[in-house]
This record gives sequence, C-alpha cells and structure tokens, in this order.
Amino acid sequence: MNATRQTRLTLTLPSSLIGDFFPILQQGFFVTAHVGCTLQRLLCRQWDISPDYVATRITTIFLNAKATDNVETAVVRDGATIALSGAMPGLVGATMRRGGHLAAMRGAMTYHETPADAVDRIGTVRVKLFNILLPELGPAFLGRGILVSCDDLASFFRERDESFWKSCDGGILDNMQVSAGRLRAEPFCREGTVRLTVNFR
Amino acid sequence: MDRIARINMGAAGGPTVTFEEVGEYAGLGGRALTSLLIAREVHPLCHPLGNENKLVIAPGMLSGTTGSMTGRLSVGCKSPLTGTIKESNAGGQAAQVMARIGYAAVILEGKPEGDDLYKIIINKDGIKIEVDNSLKLMDNYPLVEKLRQEYGDKVAYITIGSGGERQLLAASIACTDPELRPTRHCGRGGVGAVMGSKRVKAIILDDAGMKMRAPKDPEKFRDANRKFVEGLRKHPVTGEGLPAYGTNVLTNVLNEAGGYPTYNFKQGQFAGAAKLSGEAQAELEIKRGGSATHGCHRGCVIQCSGIYNDKDGHYITKQPEYETVWSHGGNCGIDDLDTVARLDFMDDNIGLDTIEMGVTIGVAMDAGLIPFGDREGAIRLLDEVGKGTPLGRVLGCGAEITGKVFGVEKVPVVKGQAMPAYDPRPIQGIGVTYATTTQGADHTAGYAIATNILKVGGDVDPLKTEGQVELSRNLQIATAAIDSTGMCLFIAFAIMDQPETFQALLDMLGAFYGITMTGDDVVALGKKVLSAERDFNARAGFTKAHDRLPRFFYTEPIAPHNQVFSVPDEEMDQLFNW
Ligand code: SF4
Repeated sequence: MNATRQTRLTLTLPSSLIGDFFPILQQGFFVTAHVGCTLQRLLCRQWDISPDYVATRITTIFLNAKATDNVETAVVRDGATIALSGAMPGLVGATMRRGGHLAAMRGAMTYHETPADAVDRIGTVRVKLFNILLPELGPAFLGRGILVSCDDLASFFRERDESFWKSCDGGILDNMQVSAGRLRAEPFCREGTVRLTVNFR
Repeated sequence: MDRIARINMGAAGGPTVTFEEVGEYAGLGGRALTSLLIAREVHPLCHPLGNENKLVIAPGMLSGTTGSMTGRLSVGCKSPLTGTIKESNAGGQAAQVMARIGYAAVILEGKPEGDDLYKIIINKDGIKIEVDNSLKLMDNYPLVEKLRQEYGDKVAYITIGSGGERQLLAASIACTDPELRPTRHCGRGGVGAVMGSKRVKAIILDDAGMKMRAPKDPEKFRDANRKFVEGLRKHPVTGEGLPAYGTNVLTNVLNEAGGYPTYNFKQGQFAGAAKLSGEAQAELEIKRGGSATHGCHRGCVIQCSGIYNDKDGHYITKQPEYETVWSHGGNCGIDDLDTVARLDFMDDNIGLDTIEMGVTIGVAMDAGLIPFGDREGAIRLLDEVGKGTPLGRVLGCGAEITGKVFGVEKVPVVKGQAMPAYDPRPIQGIGVTYATTTQGADHTAGYAIATNILKVGGDVDPLKTEGQVELSRNLQIATAAIDSTGMCLFIAFAIMDQPETFQALLDMLGAFYGITMTGDDVVALGKKVLSAERDFNARAGFTKAHDRLPRFFYTEPIAPHNQVFSVPDEEMDQLFNW
C-alpha cells in the first residue's frame, strides 16, 4: 500500500447503505495499527471489540491465510492479513473453527506462531470481514477510517446505483466540502490511497 | 409408511405393481433402507443401466410427520457413473408426500422393451402406470408445467429431464419445491440415468385424503420437536449464517484458507471470489426482489435456500449452492453470479448434477475447448448437453469421460465422480473422505460434523495431525446415520454444539417409534449402512487401490500453502476397520 500521497474523504450516510460497503469490507481494506502485539490485543484493545464478542461471535480467524486457534499467542506483524468470520456451515466450516474438535482435518492450514522477530511499531494490516461480522463490525471500522486505493474507491463510486446517490449528499474531501455530483462524475484522485471515513446516521 | 411398492417396468405385457409389508426394513428410512436393499438385491456386477439394477426411492424415518427438517428423499441404485453403490438425496416436497401416502420405499425394477415413456401416479388409491410419449425429451421446468395442468398444484413431482432420458452419467432426479419448481435434485452419481433406463419420466405423488404420520407418543414427540427447533434457531450457523447467506457463505472463507480449487484445481485461491460470495449473492437477491432465505420443503426452519432473480426482477433459478457457485464459477475462472445462476437453471432444467457439470466444463477448459473465464462459452457447452449433440453427450457423461476423450491428464475425480469444492491438499482430512467413501468423491459423505457428540470412535486430539483417518471414519459413520433419518444434514451444526439439541433429535425418533434411542444406536446404524455399502463395492470389484486420489494430488503442490496430499496409503486402508 503506497502511503506517500493520502487523500482523506469523509462521508455521512444513512445506516441503510452499509450493505454498499460490504464488497470493500470482504475484499479487504487496510488500517493503520500498532503491530507486534497479539491478535487479542489488537482486536480488544485497539479495535475495542469486547473479549466476549471475540470469543463467541468471531469463531473463525485467518492470520495470513492460516486458521488461527489461539488469539492470545498469535502475533500480528506489519503487513499481515487478518480475516474475521462468524461460525461457518459444512465440514470445512467446522474444520476452520477456532479450537474446534475437527482442527486436525486442516493439515497445513493451521497457523503456528514462530519465534521470528515481531517489532512493536505502527504499521499497516489488511482486514477482511465476512458474513455476520460485516454489519456488526463494518460500521466501526468505517467510522474509524480505512485505507483504500484510489482505483478501488473510483470503482466503488462507479458501481453505485441511484438509491445510493439519492441518499448521499456529498462529503468532505481534504477538508473541503465536495458534492455527490462530483464524487459520481470524476475520479478525485488518480494514485495512492484514500483514507475513507464513513459515519452512519 | 408400512408398505413397499415394487414396480416391475420390464414385466411381460407392461409394467406391474406388487405391494409388500415393510418387514425387516421396519423403522428404517433414507440411506439405510436404500443401501441395505440394494446391497442385498442388486447383483453387484450388473450393468447399472440394465434390467438387473433397481432404483429405490425412500423417504426418511421421520418424513411425513410434523417434525422439522424431515424432508430428505433418498434414492439408491448401482451408479452408472462410479460403478459403486449409490445413495443420493434431495429436499423438496416428495419425501413428505410419499411418506404420508404410506410408502417406506418405491422400487423401480426391470426395464421395458421398446421406446415408450411412462409416468407413475401414486395416491391413496394405489399406483397407476401410464404411457405418455408426449413427455419425450422434455426438460424439467416445461415438464412440470405440463404435468401441473393435469395433476394440479397439490401434489409433488419427481422427474427427469432430457439428461436422464438420454441416460447421461451426470443426470439427476428432480424433486419439486413448495412452489412446484423442479429445483431440488438427487444429483450425484447419475441416478437420473437409471430412472431414464427404466423409461420412467415422472412420478406424481398425491397425498390427498392422507393425514400426517402419527407418532406413538404424540406429546413427547411435540415436545422434542419444539426443543429441536429451539436448538436450531438459537445456533449461529443454523439460526443466522445459513438463513442469511446460504451455503455459499463458504466462498470467502475457503478462498481465504487457500482451499478453494480454481482453474480446474490448479490454484487454491481465486481473485474474483468476493464477487461470487454468499454475502454478495444475498445482497443481490434481496435487491432484485428475490429472497435470500427460503426453505426447500415445508417444515424447514433453517431455510438455507433463496430465490435468484435477474436484474429486472424475473426468476432465474433457486439460490445456487456453494458447490454450484464454485464449480461453475471459481473452478472455471468465472466471477459472475448471473452466469452461474443461468448455468444452475440449465442444470436443473436438463436434469444434471451441478458439481459434475461444473467440474466437467473446467476439464473441457483445460483441454482448450474454451478458455477459462469464458462465460458465454460455458453456457454454450451446457446447451450442447441439453440438445444431446455428440459433444453434449460426452460432456453430460461427466469429468472423467470428458478428460479421457480430450486427453486431459489432471481430472479431479475419485471412482469416476467429480470432486466438490474443497481442495484435498490443504484440507487433508477431506481428501481422506473423498478417497475412501463408498460413493466416489463426495463431500457430504463425511459431513456430519457431530462426531464429538456422537462419541463415534472416542475423542480425537484436535491438534494431532495424524488424526485425519480416524476423524474421516467418524464423520462417515455419523453421516450415514443422519442420512438414514432423512433429516437435512445441516442440522449437524446445532447437534454438534448443543447436546440438548442432539437429545431432542433422539427423543423425536424415540417418541415416534415408541423406542428408546441412544447415541450408540445411531452409531451402530451408521456402521451397518457403511458395512453393507463396502461389501457391495467389494463384490463389484472395488479394492483398496480404488480408495486413492488421482496421482497429481500427491505430486503437484497447490498455492498458497504449496502442499501435496500426504496421508499414507496404509493409514487410509485402516479407515473401515471397526
Ligand atoms: S436447510 Fe436448506 S437444504 Fe436443508 S431442508 Fe432447509 S432449505 Fe433444504
């Protein structure tokens, strides 16, 4: 993720439009975070998700594409990808479940913590939210702000339909008011990343 | 459900029907009944499309009652695709209606001379078999429409499309859903070809004048059913995930895990997966006035299905399942849900197994017939199957035959049946099930994840990597048992996590039949079914050499985990030792 040139865009939208952001939230977005800590610390201390919610709702977690059983020992390093999901159906869904009795079915897919250096620093991680966690955790991530590429945001606006534009009355682009018409009509950045913040009312 | 009807399609002078008491099959249903009967009565070396094969159609143990989730219909035969014994099951209304009319099984035997096509009408007054050549080569949707004009909307239909009539090895048997659409298929193993070989185009089930099946202890049954439903509703998978997103909720997770086979099993991740996901599908369905929550039969409380409309709000198909979205989508490099929905409709209409056809098209793409990602090309190929062209007949006989005809080296099949949507290299345990199941590569054969509750084979250390064979064995036993009850397999999530929900299921069975059922009884039933199936396969010539994955899974690693399948043969050979 190129962080050299960062545009900031803030939107305020009705909560009924949260579904429009699901493709971005599933595909993965970047956030700035304090890395070098355990997953549990990142989820609960930095992202303010309650330990109870982590234990009961976030039943499947992938750290760098590997199913993770123990959030208290798995360490998040700079550039990591974290995918969070609710309970999944199917044999494979049950196999991926954290600490489930079918974990042995996974083979190579299980995350094992390594003693490799995990530097305590500010970094960037990629987050993906799936299924029931989309409406439950999505608004908080969007409210804190996520990093998306200019290209991805441009295609996001291109793909919106009339119902979105009817409810969008523009936003604030780099401290300046910007109309919905302009967001719709032209790409407002050509390269780099956008820090997108969405407040739902 | 105290009678068995035998319909001899090959009797001299035209088909005949005989009735018999259920006898030694009393209290059995679904897969237990179909497999035990086939193993006993069908010559294991018979030609699957010849007159010695039988097609057994059986509702589940609790079908036709007021119990929830009890609507699976099993069909059993010797499979023309795999050469093994086969049980294939589907939802829809047929199981409930057949059970209420009073049949534990309807068995199609023999094979008529000549070219006439038959329909069978089953109601409280008996069974009628009529020639109806006006139905010839009709596909399922127009066929059911035509039958509805004659038999109305208060019946259930079991039909085959042109695929079954042409005896294609990927042909399915369709059951109508509550809206009388032929959307629920006994898909796997070419069971539709066996029905086609008997020249039976449609079975019309009419339960007018019949009542719900009555339990021995109605009060206890009602109470157990209430607890069972509560358990399903409160569990996050059966109460939230499946109703909201259906089985396709798995796409994102499998892709993230690197276990989503793509481009004919060449990669474990697909760049377009998010566009095919259950989350995207549900959004689209709701936006277009369809539905993301729908039951395939009355009495389903999970409702994992849905209605998929086009952008103008017109019905295209029922919500395609995860395996279908994968086979026609990611496996073929296609990232467009509308294309997948069209292919799903075509499969249902022609009467074809969606897994087999998606994998077959992937193999055809590998052969260079059309490029990966070619949406219109995939539709064209399936159209060839519907038209019965020579190419269509090859494709309609599945992945293995297509691979042989076009010289493709890597064909993902076991015992001739296409592998479903989970790569066995990163998920080794499922590879064990694919290789060893009695049915050919089949994900549902080891689907009943409730092994811990059933305590099948004792506890397995979850983090021990050598546990794959033991787990697969336990899963296959538990699945055979649930398939025999006629309950939808998706109940497994709630009974795995909630002992009281599992107890409620046992109590339902116990209260219905006036017996006390324990987990041990369920396990014993699962083992009995698997043993009978294994024995049939052994007599049909299958040995442990057939319990293997295709060689490339052992030699070609798949990204991103770069793993090969590595469970030793000797361990797999221990699977059925009990
Ligand atoms: S959960 Fe799904 S497959 Fe099972 S009975 Fe309900 S709709 Fe049919």
